[in-house]
Amino acid sequence: MSRSLKRYLVPAGAAVALLGFAWFVTQHGPLAPQPVKVALAERGALAPAVFGIATVEARYAYAIGPTQAGRVRRVLVDQGDRVSAGQLLGEIDPVDLDARLDGAALAEQRAGQGVLIAENQLREAQSRHQLASANAERYRGLAVRGFVSREAVEVRRNEAEVTSAAVAGAAAALQAARQDVARSGTERSGLLRQRANLRLVSPSDGLVVAREAEPGSTVVAGQAVLRVVDPASVWLKARIDQAQAQGIVPGQPVEIVLRSRQRDKLAGTIARVEAQSDAVTEEKLVSIRFDRLPEGVTLGELAEVTVLLPRIGDALILPTAALKRVGGQTGVWRRVEGKAHFQRVDAGTQTPDGKVAVLSGLSAGDEVIVFSPVELQEGTKVKAS
Amino acid sequence: MEPAIKLEGLVKRYGSGAAAVDALKGVDMEVWPGEVVGLLGPSGSGKTTLLQCLGAVIDPTAGRISLGGQTTFDNQWKISDLRELRRDSIGFMFQAPYLIPFLDVTDNIALLPMLAGRPNGEARERARELLAALDMSHRAEAKVSQLSGGEAQRVSIARALANNPPIILADEPTAPLDSARSLAVIKLLNRLAEQYRTAIIVVTHDDTIIPTFKRIYHIREGRAHEERGEGRALD
Amino acid sequence: MINLAYRDISNGLGRYLLTGLGLGLLIGVTLTMAGVYRGMVDDAHALIDASGADIWVVQQHTLGPYAEPSTLHDDAWRAIAGLPGVAETGNVTYLTMQVRHAHADVRVMIAGYEPGRLGEPRYLVAGRPVQRSHYEAVADVKTGFQSGDVIRIRRHDYTVAGLTKRMVSSGGDPLVFIPLKDAQEAQFLKDNPAIVNDRNRIIANPQLNRPGVPGLLDALQADRSANRNVNAVLVRTVAGSDPRQVADEIMRWKRLTAYTRSDMEQILVVKLIATSAKQIGLFLVILAVVSAAIVALIIYTMTMGKIKEIAVLKLIGTRNRVIGGMILQQALGLGVVGFVVGKLAATAWAPVFPKYVLLLPEDALRAFAITMAICTLASLLGIRAAMNVSPASAIGGG
Repeated sequence: MSRSLKRYLVPAGAAVALLGFAWFVTQHGPLAPQPVKVALAERGALAPAVFGIATVEARYAYAIGPTQAGRVRRVLVDQGDRVSAGQLLGEIDPVDLDARLDGAALAEQRAGQGVLIAENQLREAQSRHQLASANAERYRGLAVRGFVSREAVEVRRNEAEVTSAAVAGAAAALQAARQDVARSGTERSGLLRQRANLRLVSPSDGLVVAREAEPGSTVVAGQAVLRVVDPASVWLKARIDQAQAQGIVPGQPVEIVLRSRQRDKLAGTIARVEAQSDAVTEEKLVSIRFDRLPEGVTLGELAEVTVLLPRIGDALILPTAALKRVGGQTGVWRRVEGKAHFQRVDAGTQTPDGKVAVLSGLSAGDEVIVFSPVELQEGTKVKAS
Repeated sequence: MEPAIKLEGLVKRYGSGAAAVDALKGVDMEVWPGEVVGLLGPSGSGKTTLLQCLGAVIDPTAGRISLGGQTTFDNQWKISDLRELRRDSIGFMFQAPYLIPFLDVTDNIALLPMLAGRPNGEARERARELLAALDMSHRAEAKVSQLSGGEAQRVSIARALANNPPIILADEPTAPLDSARSLAVIKLLNRLAEQYRTAIIVVTHDDTIIPTFKRIYHIREGRAHEERGEGRALD
Repeated sequence: MINLAYRDISNGLGRYLLTGLGLGLLIGVTLTMAGVYRGMVDDAHALIDASGADIWVVQQHTLGPYAEPSTLHDDAWRAIAGLPGVAETGNVTYLTMQVRHAHADVRVMIAGYEPGRLGEPRYLVAGRPVQRSHYEAVADVKTGFQSGDVIRIRRHDYTVAGLTKRMVSSGGDPLVFIPLKDAQEAQFLKDNPAIVNDRNRIIANPQLNRPGVPGLLDALQADRSANRNVNAVLVRTVAGSDPRQVADEIMRWKRLTAYTRSDMEQILVVKLIATSAKQIGLFLVILAVVSAAIVALIIYTMTMGKIKEIAVLKLIGTRNRVIGGMILQQALGLGVVGFVVGKLAATAWAPVFPKYVLLLPEDALRAFAITMAICTLASLLGIRAAMNVSPASAIGGG
């Protein structure tokens, strides 16, 4: 190699090394543009869905218990038993009720006797009155012919009046005796009805899910001794964030995953959207029916439900990760001449697999920045990677 | 014609007062351009001191020095820049070549003209000239470490001549060499002295070359005595 | 005039570069130490800057939510949102705990947030944002989780939907973002035996377990197991308004404490970092002194190795200035090589370092300037030795 060439080799090498170093610093150091991943906005279909946590409940559940305080006498069924409508499930101790019933029966009997007495007394008064009336008549006739004194007529007439009053009184006494009978009759039927209430009877066919009081324990009015549910009415009560619950209507299909069976996806349908939402937790309550009731599902079990909303056939789609909020406005970051620029967009439905519909602000084929290693500012240098 | 070197009553005193030692006690010397003069003397005779004064690395105490017709020292006065003087007016040769190991042969020689301010191209041209004169052109780009002893010696001669100085001081240049080479060196020095009109002072005690000098100065106890040399022919 | 320094270096290039390499590694360590400090400050800042908030509202008289525990009701935001200057608010919870993944526990900070409100992760590096209202998470890459991994937090399994970067707590623990309700449950709900124990205590309490009031017990249990608390409310102020003023408003009227960004920086950065800053500063000084000593020694040795040549150079008429310049240039060249090597090394091993290393360009420039200064000073020793050489020594002894 010629001398002059060799002479320039080392400084040339040094210059190349320094340039390389400078390149390295600008490409990899803090001065370098940020590597970002981009995506294109495409037209396509979206399958939106809404997620919620649900509890398994029975739509028709009955708490069976007494209407007044008492002591449980016997419980005839246990948890897990199937019962039919009208079946006797248990009984509250009547305590003195039976004795009172007997007393009421006797009172009724006695009242019946009273009526007989009053009837006889009325007949007696009536016959006396008949006699007195006849006498009074006769004497009046006699008085006209002057056979008897006026006084005698008066006396007889008075007798007739007295006996008439006696008849009225006896009639009234009879009425009272009859009312007595009625009263003791209603008292007795009242006691009977009370007695009937102490019998715990199932209002419908169903399954006993809880036995909450044992014989001998005291229960108050309204306290449940047994809980019966209609197993066919088992459904899910789901809680769905109010912000996401728009568009949920009865009839929509639902995917259900029970916590006890996480590998199985069960099918269901929205049965009802409750009119009353939970204002504290800001959730809507939605009832979901199982399409096919699975075996062995227990009440109170948790499930994850996904409501499948109607597909959107044609929409401009972006990855949800590209959607950002800056200064309270929603939009996306775009690459403009190697720098990040924020573009406002109106976003629509988001799907669980991470896609969002863009309503305005972009066209098909527009490129947006999806991932960046730092928070982007307006003008940050970026390069696609 | 002016002598290339003229020393008049040169005195060098070390120390002061009672402990003072006079290494040189009044030396007179003259060397003419083109001459090759021998400088002989035992060690301790002041030879080294004289060389150092001639080489403008130390200042004498008294006396007068003229180099190339220019007074460089006159008792208390001295030329201001000794370094420049050495660079431009004095060529040095040592026992060992003392080349700069990190410069190649050409640059070792060209260094002196560059130090004198000559442009690099011109300096290198001068170096090439001298190398040619010494039959060393083929080693122009060699590294110092690649040279043989004799080659290095010749490069050091070329270096001494690089700035075309009026005088060259050679300190035991043949000490490490054998007889044949020693004679070759002296022959070379004579040729160059004549060619470039340089005055060369050769300090030596090498009996091989002493007979070749036409004039010899003996230094004894701080004084110089001139003698006729044998002046044996070199061929 | 040729450059003597360049020639000398070229003559022994390998050894020179090797020396520069050694020095470079030392400089690399220095740069890394400075980077560790910057990284710590950045860690402390990361959470503050990444939240997008201008004001942190916390429990009165606490330094929360990061430096101290703080508890607020989760409806406190309603009152704050109505104040002038408040653009938007967001409830957040923070809890540092272990989460289980595969067969390892990872220490993370669980951050609860409401999607669409302040407190959500502001950018992703992979995956997608949390879509479901429960049991999904966004994790920082420092956790080592991937999109799709299932992790266990307290009682539930969460699917990692997306990943983010540089979301770390002030202590350097990576963040995992989950929906607020889940975070509230994780923070306050205990595990099953504890819950059963609590229930039994209520049942055993006759004041609470009244026979005449069916349903009271259930209502109490439900209340006990619900959590309606958050750790802080983040506030973004309207553009152009002064966060300090808005914070003062909040504090005056709402019996809460509010911190602006600079307050939070003060709490986190200054207080937490102060001790470490001193340690690192001391370390940097020591490294600088050691580097200076090494350069001085190397240059001195290089000079002493050339003592004879320097004497000859001086003799044949080389200026002192030229010789001094040669030594200085060699020292500076060593500094340049060392700096390049050091910067490359620091950049190369920074990602592998267990703590976050932040290398800033101004730190590199500063390091370069200091390296040059140190090399200049260090060369003085060699230069002094060279100046002391007498040209006569080239002749003497001959």
